[in-house]
Amino acid sequence: MSATTTTSVETHDAHQTNGQHERLQHHFASLDQQFDASKMGMWLFLVTEILLFSGMFVAYTVYRVWHPEVFTVASEVLDPVMGGLNTVILLASSFTVALSIHFIQKGNQKALTVNLILTVLGACGFLVIKYFEYTGKFSHGVFPGENFSPHGDYAFVDIPYAAQFFSIYFVMTGIHGVHVLIGIGLFIWLIIRALRGHFSAEWYTPVELTGLYWHIVDIIWIFLFPLLYLI
Amino acid sequence: MAQGKLRAEIHEHHLTPFKVLLGTFLGLIILTVLTVLTAALDLGAANVPIALTIATTKAVLVVLFFMALKYDNQVNTLVLSVGLIMVVVFITFTLFDTAFRGDISNVNPQTIMEIEREQQALETGGAEAAAPQGGEH
Repeated sequence: MSATTTTSVETHDAHQTNGQHERLQHHFASLDQQFDASKMGMWLFLVTEILLFSGMFVAYTVYRVWHPEVFTVASEVLDPVMGGLNTVILLASSFTVALSIHFIQKGNQKALTVNLILTVLGACGFLVIKYFEYTGKFSHGVFPGENFSPHGDYAFVDIPYAAQFFSIYFVMTGIHGVHVLIGIGLFIWLIIRALRGHFSAEWYTPVELTGLYWHIVDIIWIFLFPLLYLI
Repeated sequence: MAQGKLRAEIHEHHLTPFKVLLGTFLGLIILTVLTVLTAALDLGAANVPIALTIATTKAVLVVLFFMALKYDNQVNTLVLSVGLIMVVVFITFTLFDTAFRGDISNVNPQTIMEIEREQQALETGGAEAAAPQGGEH
């Protein structure tokens, strides 16, 4: 660790003089090895997340191959402006979480906290827009499952197999929304720890791993937006 | 593994420059605008592959730069790749079933070609053309 050129607080430097760190667990040889092990564990978890969503993407693909014209008509119910706005919000929050890691690597705890707060605001904004989208659908009888009975402006979508499209829409965006909710919880936890000064340039593993999780949530939405709203 | 070797491998984590992160973000926004614009055009069957290509490009940008896989330990690339191969297997092999249902599980004694010829004859020539071909079975 002698090569470290960061400007961290003195308390951490004191622990490093003999190659040890207060965060280093005894079964790891070094902080780097510990960091790499944590990160690979996170990537393995992210693969299970991708596989969870891929089940729903397969359902989407099968129904789209069977009824392509229904999907084209049904997707007109979804508002690309709201979906697009949510895409931009999620991309921006992915950017701020990448910045939070960038700044804590430089030892800048204040910029870390600011960027984590911006990220959590973006995540909340996403869910607020999602709430308005869902209630807008519900008020016109567009429900998942057998209660599907569109009326009013959405009466044109009362066609066979449109119910399947909306079941897929609500399940996919719903489970994605649950992931956003979990993300908000994780970011609040990170903000509290950041304010208590738990993170430094030498040790910021929770920020890195939560960042990876948040980027996967972003990537899922990157695919959901065009597949559900646009085409 | 020897303790000394591990100590020797100690290195600093890659610090992705601010400019790279900003460039990635701007690229993602431009691609989002592009996917909305191209989806508004009626390109028929081409709309789906175009939207998927843009979405995949965006995902690659996020993975390489925001998730910093480009600069990361390569074992993580391996983990992700194996996962993605499984997704491809999942989708492809499911479609082998669902996209060809009714073709492969055909239990009619007539061949598919015969059925198609019969249908064609019924549509174009009416009963007289179908009579010599079909018959009872």
